[in-house]
Amino acid sequence: MIRTTTALAALLAASPALADKAAVLTTYADIAHAGYEDSLTSAKALQSAVDALIAEPSAETLAAAKDAWLEARVPYQQTEVFRFGNPIVDDWEGKVNAWPLDEGLIDYVDAGYAGGENRYAGLNVVANESFELSGEDVDASEITPELLSDTLHEADGVEANVATGYHAIEFLLWGQDLNGTEDGAGERPWTDYAAGEECTNGHCDRRGEYLSAATDLLVSELEWMTGQWAEGGDARTNVTESPDQGIVAMLTGMGSLSYGEQAGERMKLGVMLNDPEEEHDCFSDNTHNSHFYDGLGIHNVYNGRYVRVDGSVVEGESLSDLVAEADESVDAELSRNLDHTVLQLAKLKAAAEAGFAYDEMLARGNSDGEALIMAAVDGLVTQTRSIERAVSALGLDDIGFEGSDSLDDPNAVFQ
Amino acid sequence: MMRLAVLALALTATAASAGVEEAVSAHVLPATQGFADAAEALEEAADTDCTADAVRPAWNDAFDAWLGLSHLRFGPLEEDSRALTIAFWPDTRGMTPRALGGLVADEDPVIESAEGFAEVSVAARGLYAMERLLYSEDYAGYGAEDYVCGLVRAEARDLARSAALIAEDWAAFAMTVRDAGNEGNDTFLSERESRQAFYTALVTGLDFVADQRLGRPLGSFDDPRPDLAETQLSGRALRNVTLSLEALQDLAATLGSESAPETGAAFDAALGTANSVASADLSGVSDPMQRVQVEALQQEVRDIRHAVSNEIGTALGVSEGFNATDGD
Repeated sequence: MIRTTTALAALLAASPALADKAAVLTTYADIAHAGYEDSLTSAKALQSAVDALIAEPSAETLAAAKDAWLEARVPYQQTEVFRFGNPIVDDWEGKVNAWPLDEGLIDYVDAGYAGGENRYAGLNVVANESFELSGEDVDASEITPELLSDTLHEADGVEANVATGYHAIEFLLWGQDLNGTEDGAGERPWTDYAAGEECTNGHCDRRGEYLSAATDLLVSELEWMTGQWAEGGDARTNVTESPDQGIVAMLTGMGSLSYGEQAGERMKLGVMLNDPEEEHDCFSDNTHNSHFYDGLGIHNVYNGRYVRVDGSVVEGESLSDLVAEADESVDAELSRNLDHTVLQLAKLKAAAEAGFAYDEMLARGNSDGEALIMAAVDGLVTQTRSIERAVSALGLDDIGFEGSDSLDDPNAVFQ
Repeated sequence: MMRLAVLALALTATAASAGVEEAVSAHVLPATQGFADAAEALEEAADTDCTADAVRPAWNDAFDAWLGLSHLRFGPLEEDSRALTIAFWPDTRGMTPRALGGLVADEDPVIESAEGFAEVSVAARGLYAMERLLYSEDYAGYGAEDYVCGLVRAEARDLARSAALIAEDWAAFAMTVRDAGNEGNDTFLSERESRQAFYTALVTGLDFVADQRLGRPLGSFDDPRPDLAETQLSGRALRNVTLSLEALQDLAATLGSESAPETGAAFDAALGTANSVASADLSGVSDPMQRVQVEALQQEVRDIRHAVSNEIGTALGVSEGFNATDGD
């Protein structure tokens, strides 16, 4: 009797909960789709601006291309939360947002530049029509999207050989930031794209070819990823076909981005190294925005609400609703912590926009800068603990155990 | 019948929290004290004579001691990024040589005070920066009056300070762990959370051995990278693997349970293979015959991880939490 009642109760409890999960995952996939579609739209605007720069190089067309790049980063950074936990995104992400990079692979760099362990950190494809790479002769007389993606990207198995994506384009627009931990971004002159005698630093036509190829690639990659999240797309199907796995993917994405990636690799490490190259958007000095929109993306996913680039809103049943149903106090804590982090990131952004550049914050002994960054880091670390509590509250630890015999399975929780 | 079920639950809970208690008292506290002692001895050695030959033995002892706790990446080791400051590796972008080169070229007076040196980039501090000063050709033969000698002294003082703080903080943090789930404990809201912290440290530590300590020099078959081995200058990469596996075995034994035969056997197998690898600096990865052994060792470390998650994770009732290496 007892067994029957319990089983029945479990069944009754399970049905509405399952329905909730499906709705939450639909919201999640809808936000992902909208985010990548917005990234695509703004990458196409960047593509037009780059075409204009190459057709008619001038200070104005270069500035317009930079503005387009900055705008393109806003929706894209909000999609980073989809990366960890979704193998389709994680396997692809390196093509569009790889960082940090040894920019000497692409174009000229300052003489004081050093690339660490990378043998091709000074390759300079713009200046060289042929070269040897890992024992193979490479014909780079024409700079095509294929050359970038198939031959140069991650050349020699080194992840710092970033030939494609936002940061390669950023470098081609801004150039190296040689101001160290002082104010100022990269100062590439527009004449780096000028024709004939006006051309500075050589090979302006090839530099333009490179920029154009990299931008075309970005657009086609974003087109592909948008399709993955559309109705019937693989990324959408993966998270919706198994509700528990889907919810785990959401939480994994939030937690891994918060802790290992953003708090650790991207923020704390820069403070501990006092190194301006540890800025995520080091050429453009746009790092504060990258951090802010990453944090906002996490907030979007939990609250099931995303404001698109045209101001329209995608929203629906949220993970917050689901967690609250399981344990109100866990939801309250996590919601509060996510709000807090976004506020700390906003303070960092405000200070940077008012003139206190992110690389200045990283300078040795700059305690105000360190305090601003570490307040956001602490927020990210704290919210990670709450995310772990949400996993437990939803009873999803078992998913981890199921995965424990197949650790190579990318779907296994929290690898 | 009902009562029996409750009793069974209570027993399980006691057994599990006993694991954490044993991990703290028999694993963590001795390891943190051992490292504090070794780092203090290093500081004394450098104070007495800061030239390379005189300092190397104490540096090696401190490194050995560090491997006893390097996997405990939560609580006091994460406070003020201490683990990163003590052990900045891997250094994929060559930051350590660059940062040290900058200090030496400028004869930066920042080394004069402990507080000043604490502001310096972590790439120029800790065990790996010190290794470079003691073993690299760049600094070979530095004399007692040279800037480098003073820098070595500053490094040793800095390490001793961090190590003492870790030991001190762990003495207090041990209470936080023991007190898990009680009112006012914001760090561990339940015993389950403290178990998860230790479990995550264990599996993350195993991953670090397989992916970094062994994976980096292994590279690929066509392109082995002995130059990327850990502590390449002092040639103790294999010793690091062995000592960290022993420390992780110790943690696993305290955490888990008499009933983890698969885990015990997996550790024994890996340690046995490590013992038979011929090259102390793992340069054997370039030799096809020796390479096979290092590859086997890497696989055996991954096998430990499987065994640990099946036996210990299940017994503790936890899965792995997020860790600092979740990023790319």
